[in-house]
Amino acid sequence: MACFGCLMIYSASSYAAEVQSGDSLYFVKKQLIGVVLGTAAMIGVCFFPYKKLIKLKFPAIIVAAILLLLVFVPGIGITNYGATRWIGFGGFSVQPSEIAKYSYVIFTAAYFSKNYEKVKTFRGCLPVLAVGIGFCLLIIVEPNMSITMCVGALMLGMIFLSGTNLKTMALILVPFVAAVPLLIILEPYRLQRLSAFLDPWASPKDEGYQLIQSLYALGNGGLFGVGLFNSTQKYRFLPFAESDFIMSVMGEELGFIGLTVFFVISSFIIFRGFKIAKNCDNRFGFLLASGFTLVYGIQVAINALVVSGAIPPTGLPLPLISSGNTSLIITMASMGVLYNISKSEH
Amino acid sequence: MGLTIAFIFFVIIGRLFYVQLAWGRDLRMRAADQWNREIPVIATRGLISDRNGEVIADNRSTFSVFLRPNAVVNAEYTATILSGIFSADPQKLLKKIESGKISEVTVARQVEKDSIEKLISYNLPGVYYSRDNTRTYAYGDLLCQVLGFTSSDGSGVSGIEKYYDNLLSGKNGEIMYSTDILGIETENSKIVYSEAQAGNEVRLTVDLDIQLSAERAMKKVYLSSGAKAVSCVVLNPQNFDILAMVNYPSYDLNEVPRNDSETLNALSRNFLISDIYEPGSTFKIITAAADIEEYLRGNKNAFSDSYIFNSGRTRSVDGTTIKCWSDHSNGKHTNQTLADALNNSCNPCFTDIALSLGSGVFYDYLNSFGFGNVTGIDFSGEALGMLVPQTAVRDCDLARIGFGQTVAVTGVQLACAAAAAVNGGNYYIPHILKSVVSPDGVTVSENKPILKNKVISEKASEMLRGMLEGVVSEGSGKHAYIEGYKVGGKTGTAQKYEDGHVAQGKYVSSFVGFFPADNPQYLALIVVDEPQGTYYGSAVAAPVAKEIFQDIINVKNIERYE
Repeated sequence: MACFGCLMIYSASSYAAEVQSGDSLYFVKKQLIGVVLGTAAMIGVCFFPYKKLIKLKFPAIIVAAILLLLVFVPGIGITNYGATRWIGFGGFSVQPSEIAKYSYVIFTAAYFSKNYEKVKTFRGCLPVLAVGIGFCLLIIVEPNMSITMCVGALMLGMIFLSGTNLKTMALILVPFVAAVPLLIILEPYRLQRLSAFLDPWASPKDEGYQLIQSLYALGNGGLFGVGLFNSTQKYRFLPFAESDFIMSVMGEELGFIGLTVFFVISSFIIFRGFKIAKNCDNRFGFLLASGFTLVYGIQVAINALVVSGAIPPTGLPLPLISSGNTSLIITMASMGVLYNISKSEH
Repeated sequence: MGLTIAFIFFVIIGRLFYVQLAWGRDLRMRAADQWNREIPVIATRGLISDRNGEVIADNRSTFSVFLRPNAVVNAEYTATILSGIFSADPQKLLKKIESGKISEVTVARQVEKDSIEKLISYNLPGVYYSRDNTRTYAYGDLLCQVLGFTSSDGSGVSGIEKYYDNLLSGKNGEIMYSTDILGIETENSKIVYSEAQAGNEVRLTVDLDIQLSAERAMKKVYLSSGAKAVSCVVLNPQNFDILAMVNYPSYDLNEVPRNDSETLNALSRNFLISDIYEPGSTFKIITAAADIEEYLRGNKNAFSDSYIFNSGRTRSVDGTTIKCWSDHSNGKHTNQTLADALNNSCNPCFTDIALSLGSGVFYDYLNSFGFGNVTGIDFSGEALGMLVPQTAVRDCDLARIGFGQTVAVTGVQLACAAAAAVNGGNYYIPHILKSVVSPDGVTVSENKPILKNKVISEKASEMLRGMLEGVVSEGSGKHAYIEGYKVGGKTGTAQKYEDGHVAQGKYVSSFVGFFPADNPQYLALIVVDEPQGTYYGSAVAAPVAKEIFQDIINVKNIERYE
């Protein structure tokens, strides 16, 4: 999957990369480093007993929180496209919000497995909610709405999976629903994006541009696609063709058939993930496996819906495929954890 | 859990199905607009040729230069170089390049190969050139007011070039290639070439031989008479095909004086269609035709062909006195029949006819002969002529209209009226377009003569022909006489008016001639405006008609009638 990602990144980015940096392999080279590191991490984690992760619940969230805070330290945080989402060391940059998602899963799984009974009450869920909301706040001021939503959805998913009752669930859900309009009001550009989503052709040069270009790419692909490397939209018409909108290029080059195959494989990964969770004999393993699977699943689903114009556009990478090493390495590592969990079932 | 996954899976797949397959076509169409850029391929303009396909207006290949602002690397440099080569205003060009609104700028049209070679040597990004054509006219000033000229972008501005622009212009094609967002050609660009559609050939009714002969004769009389301007139209009385049309002075179509609009306006005006003049005695053909027809129909007020007109020199109408141009002394203009009156061009006789027929009957003829109205010729800017409205006409006006005063006509109007009078009484709509021929040589359409109305009967026309033949063989038109051929005609000499008064020494001398007189195939109207010295139509204009007819006889090998 990751190698396929490299191929797609090459196809999607070679032209823009050549024009911008003179090296058509610019994004691919970066991504290959991620693939190597990710593979190493995945294999390493495979042999790392996952149960030891329980002990990492506090270090995990503390490290994540520190990283998230570092983003705001001038000189370390990197600002791109109007958002400060990265921290840099030397030649590398890391996106802490990607790490935060997984840290959160570890923490929640550890907490609920230990405090099994507390999940039924609202008060019992509070620590989980507090950490989740804390992360959300840190991420949203970057700003990064999409990952915030991801963490929010993850939080709800985790609480739901840990077996809470309906009353508590409802109690948690209501403020969440209320938060959405509030968040939109806080940042006016979100409202513009929302209206652009409803009628992208009303502002083809501004808010609607990304979505229109994505739709053009998908439309051009048709049933069978225009063939690998033959995308027209990658000629700098489609912004973020190598990252958030790589699925548009996949749709253009490989067509509806290609995307269907991709989603069958993705669904299989998700299905396997939940199956591993279900077969796990302990609570922590169950929550960890389903949490990691959820992170992957939520991102794939949201990305697909954004790219196809079914929900308003937000920038979210397609895990394993999109350019971006933090996401790639950590997703691959999470796959390693899943493997480890599946191994220890028997 | 499996159900949830399946549900989300199908939502996504369903949405993609809709976008990629159901909506795909529409999206692709919208997207094509941003993917492709076009360079126009300029269509070859249709030829203009004479009735036998002899080419009069042709094309020479030149080039057009275009510029795509967002692919230009250095705007200032590009503007400077281009304006240097194509002598344009560098500031204007720079403004266009930098405006950001124009996706394609036309830098120059119809430029020669050497400047393109210069352009290529600079290798400017964002600048393109393509094939273009420039009109060339094989005969320079021949038929210039009729043909008209084209603008720098190749579209017709005046004359036939304008009137039949839609037939001539064809359809531009384009070279389409895909580009990135900035208009830079992409490496695997699919180049689509859509061919330009050449314009149709417009074949005129004009006969090049006759036109050349008429041009020659008119130039000669222009120089010898010292006239201000001379004009000539030759048409076929059997179908009103315009065979030749000359206005002199003229201008060279290959070097249109575009910078001097006043001169250009004056020289490019087709006097014969767009301007009016007082015809004088040539108009007597119409008065005579009305009289003969009315007589044959049994109108008691009409005069028979054997009626002897009053020999007096003057007529008194409404307290004004109308005089003949001749002093009627020494037995001149006495005891005249209608034929004699035509031979002598005696004014009072035609006054008698007009007054005797009365305004009601006479105006019926003026109207059916098309005076005061357009002929409908296929040319822009046709003048109506001037005719006092029937309701306002006084006897003194009517009396003068009888011999061609107090009335103004266009050359084409008079030639058509005369042609209808002698061809058996059929008034056709005159035309210049004979047929339209496609670029591959197939005749697309052919103009058929359209009978507008009947003016007089065949019998009346025959009688009139005989009388007009007499005018040439023994009357005032004898300078047009050609030994062995039957030529008919009528002279005219009109005084010019300036500010409502007769302008001393300024005349319009004219002649309408046709032959063979018993079955007219060619009719010519010669108009000489303000000849110096000799000014009688008989002396100035009639010999020109003879010269043209003589040429026609030689070229067409027309046999003598005996």
